Amino acid sequence: MTKVEAIIQVSKLDVVKDALHEIGVEGMTVFEARGHGRQKGHTEFYRGREYTVDLIPKVKLEIVLADDMVEKVVKAITTASRTGKIGDGKIFLSRIDDAIRIRNEERGDGAL
Amino acid sequence: MNTVAIASSELRDLYARESARIQQEFSSGGEGSVAVARRTAVVESILLRLWSEIISADLEGPEDFALVATGGFGRGWLFPHSDIDLLFLHSAGGSEEALKDSIRRFSQELWDLRLKLSPATRTLAECERFDPGNVEFAISLLDCRYLAGDRDLFSRLREKAVPRLVSRECQNLIQNLGEITRSRHHKFGNTVFHLEPNVKDGPGGLRDYNVAYWLALISAMEKLRMWPDPKTLLPVSSRRALDAALDFQMSTRCFLHFRHGRHDNTLTWEAQDEAALRKIGASDTEIANAADWMRLYFGHARAVHRVSAQLLEEIPAAWSSVYRQFQSWRSRVSTPDFSVVDGMIFVQKPDSLQDPEMLLRLFHFMAEQGLKLSTTTEYKIEQVLPSLASTPPRGAELWLYLQETLAQPHAADALRAMNALRLLPLLLPELKGIEALVVRDFYHRYTVDEHSFLAIEHLHRLKESKTEWDRRFAGLLEELEQPALLYLALLLHDSGKAAPGENHVDASLQFTETCADRLDLDPADRETVRYLVQSHLEMSAAMRRDVFDPANVKSFAEKVGVPERLKMLCLLTYADIKAVNPEAMTPWKADSLWQLYIASANYLNRSADERLHADDNNSTLAHLRSLAPVAGKKINNFLEGLPQRYLRMHGVSDVLAHAEMAAQLGNDSVQLSLKQVRHWYELTLITTDRPFLFASVSGALAAWGMNIVKANAFSNGAGVVVDTFFFTDRFRTLELNIPEWERLKQSIAAVITGKADVSRMLQDRLRSEKTNGTKVRVATQIEFDDACSAHSTLLQVLTQDRPGLLYKMCSQISKQGCNIEIALIETEGQMAIDVLYLTANGAKLGPERQAALDRALRDGLDPKATH
Repeated sequence: MTKVEAIIQVSKLDVVKDALHEIGVEGMTVFEARGHGRQKGHTEFYRGREYTVDLIPKVKLEIVLADDMVEKVVKAITTASRTGKIGDGKIFLSRIDDAIRIRNEERGDGAL
Repeated sequence: MNTVAIASSELRDLYARESARIQQEFSSGGEGSVAVARRTAVVESILLRLWSEIISADLEGPEDFALVATGGFGRGWLFPHSDIDLLFLHSAGGSEEALKDSIRRFSQELWDLRLKLSPATRTLAECERFDPGNVEFAISLLDCRYLAGDRDLFSRLREKAVPRLVSRECQNLIQNLGEITRSRHHKFGNTVFHLEPNVKDGPGGLRDYNVAYWLALISAMEKLRMWPDPKTLLPVSSRRALDAALDFQMSTRCFLHFRHGRHDNTLTWEAQDEAALRKIGASDTEIANAADWMRLYFGHARAVHRVSAQLLEEIPAAWSSVYRQFQSWRSRVSTPDFSVVDGMIFVQKPDSLQDPEMLLRLFHFMAEQGLKLSTTTEYKIEQVLPSLASTPPRGAELWLYLQETLAQPHAADALRAMNALRLLPLLLPELKGIEALVVRDFYHRYTVDEHSFLAIEHLHRLKESKTEWDRRFAGLLEELEQPALLYLALLLHDSGKAAPGENHVDASLQFTETCADRLDLDPADRETVRYLVQSHLEMSAAMRRDVFDPANVKSFAEKVGVPERLKMLCLLTYADIKAVNPEAMTPWKADSLWQLYIASANYLNRSADERLHADDNNSTLAHLRSLAPVAGKKINNFLEGLPQRYLRMHGVSDVLAHAEMAAQLGNDSVQLSLKQVRHWYELTLITTDRPFLFASVSGALAAWGMNIVKANAFSNGAGVVVDTFFFTDRFRTLELNIPEWERLKQSIAAVITGKADVSRMLQDRLRSEKTNGTKVRVATQIEFDDACSAHSTLLQVLTQDRPGLLYKMCSQISKQGCNIEIALIETEGQMAIDVLYLTANGAKLGPERQAALDRALRDGLDPKATH
């Protein structure tokens, strides 16, 4: 099993969700996140005051998948969320030892 | 096999058999109160059997040891999966060790029967001692009931120890009970109206019924020094409603325990569907669906919550000196119409409530003072409602009271009280459909009406909040010209949620139209409320896109059109999100909302000079032409070349009036209109453009002692200017002297045509005025922007507001050879925020002219500034 963590632009959440649903991914966890990579902050002046946003709002998706789905999911996320500009985000993959469905204690891929 | 083992097996069978029978009877339409009484009796018979097997063959023995039912068991309320509260009472300290083994065996047998036991072992002296760390135990003794053992020992507990404890610790008990209850209510957001309520612990649940009973009991015991008659404890006026609520809630809780197979009191959506289908607690009532059944639930919960909240307020008043002082201070707010006693409002002449105006004034008073209605006042209101229903107040009178009530700090509580008494849906039937309405989604926690009240409450609370985000939004709220329109929009924004279909916005909009008719709203106010209801999801939608993307900001800001609406929409969005559930407005969302707001506000100020053309495909233009087909050419000539911002800031009736004034310029070269609008005056000037025009009018108004709070200036392609000044009359000159209206207009016309010297007029005025020390110093900031307009240079000046400021600034601009194409003048407290689009010789200002103007403005506006 693999955990996919994708940090994407807020505006891309809906299209990414749709793209994942299309390839059969139903479950995901979404977090409100803030941060920046090479994309720097943003400054706006309002009524003589400076409002600087060092950390840009992003959303983070977490999905744990059976290994055979990983490449399809990565492809779906990158295709749906890419604008080609700095700030499109990142995807991280990591190994997961096991998963347990709390309701019936089912384990492994079946619990996903 | 010993006798206890035989008894265990028999008792297990007995308990299983009887439990199944109770469930069966309940499922066939039985009542909750019967089910809990039967379970109590079954458990009691098991306990007595075990007592005779383990402790004493004689049920009234042994001496100095007794078995006592406390808490819910003591009351005879054993719900299917409730714990069994037992007290092993013994007389003296030494006996505990001797009894230990028997108590352990007794408890063990009960656990083996799978009964959930909450046992306590205490001496009589310990029972009489108040333990601040375990108030619950003292409270549980209020329901103590003899089961077995030494009757005399139990009598000493009930007749002496408990009354002495209550008399001595009355104040502590009431205070602690109040704190525990408030903290429990806080966990549930202090509202009855949850989408999935907890029927035991939620506000208005069974626990609140107990709290009301305990408070009344403690209070009565303190006075009588003995046990009062339990039937007389709760207020007579509410007893019937409470009895009905208790029956309903007992049935509901039994249903939930049986349904979930455990001690779970949450009324989930699935449980609501089943309860409605089986008409739980409501066999004689017409129930069409789960929403109907939930309305019944909320009605009962509201009755319980009302009484418990009232007793929580009233009873501590009798004990706490600080509280009494506070209430005595509050009683000073009494008026000739309403008296305030212990934080409750009483009507001085109860019959006066027949008058709808008095009724509206009562709720305004409540919203203003943050007080509760007394039971007698509520009763009187309920009595007058049937006669009011035939001719409810409406029109401007209703709106006058409603808007003043909505603007008061405790408006949400007044609305809740009006709703609970059925007065609100009577005044505004548009809200009837959302009363206690459960709309199932995964985000909202409250019913639709409570969500709307909560949104209004969140806006009012902004003023006292100290968090960074709340302070920013609180600043916006203070700047609003008509906050009551925002509150009305919040009241109506989800009114369409009761209508079938996915899109509630259209239905809410229809209700808004009928409500606006009912309140006889001014066309401009109606349009604002309509806009806010229609657009209440727009800003949330824009937040889901990139809030730093100029295209997204532009698209959103252009839809909003004017800064005032942007502020209102931003606050509406803030309150709407915050009222979804306590965690909904995260710092992440607040940040995104604020960023979108400031980016859009800046965009609106920096894109004001897009010009209108007669052949534009614009819905407002089409509307204007349809309204005045004959005057079409006149309107086209007037509008040609005006900035699009002009149309966003002025309603259709204004535009028609302005076009007519422009057409009269041939007869009189200075067209002026002066009117009073709400709390300020509005002067509109239409004339041909000339140097120093805007400065001269600003100066003349300042010379008359008027304080300009807002102004805008536009010009069309033919050089006709439309300047509007909004000002307050600091010396009430116009208010007290009607002839001065005409003289002011003449004076301004004289200044414009050069017949009067504005600088001399202003000098006279400024000389006669004392310079008041300002509380807040605002440093002058000057900024030029060449990029935001294709034709002009934008100048933004932020500086300390003061008399004659606009004249001083605009004179400097004119002296530097600059022409004011557009002016957008605002004040925020002591800060003047002026945005001007300038040209020189028909083009943008060059760097040298900008530098010269910057120097001149700094010299003129902020003499102490170094440069």
